[in-house]
Amino acid sequence: MKKFFETVVEKILMVSGTITSLTIILIIVFLFSQATGLFNSSVVEENHSLVVNSQNRVQTLTPMQIKDIFDQEITSWIEVGGEDEDIIVFRFSDITSYVSEEELGDEFQFIPQVMSKIINENPAIIAFLPDQYLPNPTDGTRVMDCGDITLGDFFGGEEWFPTAQPAPLFGVLPLILGTLWVSLAAILFALPFGLAGAIFLSELASSRVRSLLKPIIELLAGIPSVVYGFFGLVVIVPLLQDWFNLAVGETALAGAIILAIMALPTIITVAEDAIRSVPRTIREASLALGASKFQTIVKVVIPYAVSGIMAAVVLGIGRAIGETMAVLMVTGNAAVIPTTLLEPVRTIPATIAAELGEAPTGGVHYEALFMLGVILFVITLVISITVEIIASKRPKQIM
Amino acid sequence: MKRKTLIQNIAFGIFRLMALSVVAILVWIIGFLVVKGAGALSWEFITESPTDGMTKGGIFPAIVGTLCLVVGSMVFAFPIGVMSGIYINEYAANNWVVKFIRVMTNNLSSIPSIVFGLFGMALFVNTLGFGDSILAGSLTLGLLVLPIVIRTTEEALKTIPDTYRQGSYALGASKLTTIRKVILPMAMPNITTGLILAVGRVSGETAPILFTCAAYFLPKLPTSIFDQVMALPYHLYVLATSGTDIEAARPVAYGTALVLILIVLIVNLLAGVLRGYFNKKLR
Amino acid sequence: MKKVILLALAAVMTFGASAQKLKGSDTVLPLAQKEAESYSVVNKSSNVSVTGGGSGVGISALMDGSTDIAMASRKIKLDEKMKLQESGNTVIEKVIAKDALAVIVNPNNKVSQLTREQLEQIFTGKITNWKEVGGADLKIVVYSRETSSGTYEFFKESILKNKNYMASVLSMPATGAIIQSVGQTPGAIGYVGLAYLTPSVKALKVSYDGKTYIEPSFANSKNGTYPVVRPLFFYYTKKNEAKVKPFIDYVMSKDGQKIVGEVGYIDVL
Repeated sequence: MKKFFETVVEKILMVSGTITSLTIILIIVFLFSQATGLFNSSVVEENHSLVVNSQNRVQTLTPMQIKDIFDQEITSWIEVGGEDEDIIVFRFSDITSYVSEEELGDEFQFIPQVMSKIINENPAIIAFLPDQYLPNPTDGTRVMDCGDITLGDFFGGEEWFPTAQPAPLFGVLPLILGTLWVSLAAILFALPFGLAGAIFLSELASSRVRSLLKPIIELLAGIPSVVYGFFGLVVIVPLLQDWFNLAVGETALAGAIILAIMALPTIITVAEDAIRSVPRTIREASLALGASKFQTIVKVVIPYAVSGIMAAVVLGIGRAIGETMAVLMVTGNAAVIPTTLLEPVRTIPATIAAELGEAPTGGVHYEALFMLGVILFVITLVISITVEIIASKRPKQIM
Repeated sequence: MKRKTLIQNIAFGIFRLMALSVVAILVWIIGFLVVKGAGALSWEFITESPTDGMTKGGIFPAIVGTLCLVVGSMVFAFPIGVMSGIYINEYAANNWVVKFIRVMTNNLSSIPSIVFGLFGMALFVNTLGFGDSILAGSLTLGLLVLPIVIRTTEEALKTIPDTYRQGSYALGASKLTTIRKVILPMAMPNITTGLILAVGRVSGETAPILFTCAAYFLPKLPTSIFDQVMALPYHLYVLATSGTDIEAARPVAYGTALVLILIVLIVNLLAGVLRGYFNKKLR
Repeated sequence: MKKVILLALAAVMTFGASAQKLKGSDTVLPLAQKEAESYSVVNKSSNVSVTGGGSGVGISALMDGSTDIAMASRKIKLDEKMKLQESGNTVIEKVIAKDALAVIVNPNNKVSQLTREQLEQIFTGKITNWKEVGGADLKIVVYSRETSSGTYEFFKESILKNKNYMASVLSMPATGAIIQSVGQTPGAIGYVGLAYLTPSVKALKVSYDGKTYIEPSFANSKNGTYPVVRPLFFYYTKKNEAKVKPFIDYVMSKDGQKIVGEVGYIDVL
């Protein structure tokens, strides 16, 4: 009986032991299941179509071309492989400027006929219509087949216009680059301070100073990211604007500074552990050979602990890449490919946080945001595996 | 020889200065918030609801909401986290299973909080149909802090010398009895430290509750676990960015930030005290 | 008479005193929050919760039943309406207030009026320097709301004539952040609801015909001379009507509409 009880408890404990693995699998399943619909969605907005005159030679348009046509950046069909005719852009709400409201019928039942008439009279038209009002395809009109959103559109696209009509643009390149840009800059700022802090703590500080500093670093790690964001918004952003005489204060730089502060505790703690794990004998050997303490640190201790320090850096980058609220509040969130630190950027986490609330559940935009989540997840997974590998290499270096 | 010491002195000076600047940053942030926020803090501030479009009144509902989320997530994460810590350290042999679990736990802790938010929204809010609720928010936050609880439990158990286990076995106690009567009581203060740190983390997280439970304004306190709640970090975010008169809301925002910082301070202090107590006891 | 109405209201309220959830547009949010605040004074047993997120989120919450009223700063979209109808819900629309959008710049900016065409060119990136519209030689920094907010879409429809904003606009998660940033950035331009105007920013006069420039003000918005005005909506489903009616009636009442004015929107009495 007692034995049985023990086995049951052990099994229960085992099950709870697997929960983290289970969670990760669930996260993967759910993120992917919500996101995969994206590449089966048509380029043109759901339940809508682009209709042209059947005489029109242009068979298909890319999302970018559609956007440029409707923004009147492209004004002639010749630019997209058609006749030399000026494009007439037609949105559904324009219908009343072509015909009177009475002609549409009491329940708008005549719209398809009216539309085919309009399209036949204007060969150079491109009409963006809800599917239930499509004109009869035999009437000299043609629904343009623009295909589905492709991997290339998504990962290679340079413009992020998730709510553009008729064709939303989901180019994640500026978001991915923005995220990496801010995170790498943050680590560059944090690394010297983090390394100095770690060396100070492990090699120079007396145990009293150390016991004073450790809690402070933990405190720095404990401050919620939204507080950092708030601090950045009211202090760092105006400060940067003043110092650099910038047009805008919300810049990648502001984000990088805040992220650097947030990554510091991780870097210091992990790097300090690595430096501490350097065997005493190695240090003493160096000192015995007449090296100064500083020389020992630079020439012996740091090279020995380098993989641990690398792990600290990578871990810090991971923290920075995933950080949401602070970045959302200070970086300005402009979806452009970054070129300097002094311009606004938009990161992946900030995009998800800012847009998910507004995206209709299950829609293309919603799926695209989950795809961003997948990207973020994969990046952090790669980072954490890298750390694992770096850290496991450490013992081999001893000899 | 002299140059060598000179370089060393300069280098160490720089190290000291840089380490000091880390302290300076913390002092700057906390000092700034204390100076700006202290004026807003009062008994009314923490016991009253927001009024006048959030520019006046207090943050009581947000405090209650954060409390609900803390309790909810701990009810979920604490038992499971401690149990899985016990399993890893006491039961599982040091084989690939443990290795795998450890890697997975590490991976889980490195997943960004916004991804937890996405996941919580997909699973708890939509698929399981909890809606935006304390339940959905607590479960999401619970998963987020699970690695912290597991790791501290594991570390707490590791510090207990094997002699105690062997002693217990020698007296004829079973494994379960040993864990229950000997190991857990000894490790409890340190496990509690992990719990407290997890509480600190939960009370400060915004991204995971953005889509799973946080509300902008609620006139009443929540009555069931299927209600939405206001929460301190989300409230600060809202105060900092929305509202009709952002300047007028600033004092409240500073006050809220200060309350959040105070929670973190208290949490860290408590954890430190407990750790000290534990170490003394073990000696 | 008023007392009778109040009593009747109170009777209906106790009937439907269960919790009402409002979700949606951040523009309507402050108004709904104040309405809920004062409604709870009139009706002690009321429990109205208000959550933001945006017009889109409100309407999709209405679809899956996680809210009773969707607040929206734009008209419901055709496919949203169709989705609701597919699930057997008839959606009811209520205009609870109107909101004028003001174009704002830094107070130190010399420019005080712009035509719609100029605004379109600024927001689509064709005009990039203030000197092109009669101001100082200063780079224009364009602030916008997040892509899917109702405000973003309305401004796009009304001022940009449905063209897309340029990619490098700074998108702010909420209106308050736009005010904050425009207030401290010399070359900034942005748009906010009239209700949000503070002395830290300057509102521009806008002209649609190129001749008369109209100042954004309550009077001009109410009498229809200021062109950039949009209705604010409550959407709810027919089957929930009994539950949400008391609150909506309160919002539409004289007291409720007085709050509309206090918050800075235009009442629809």
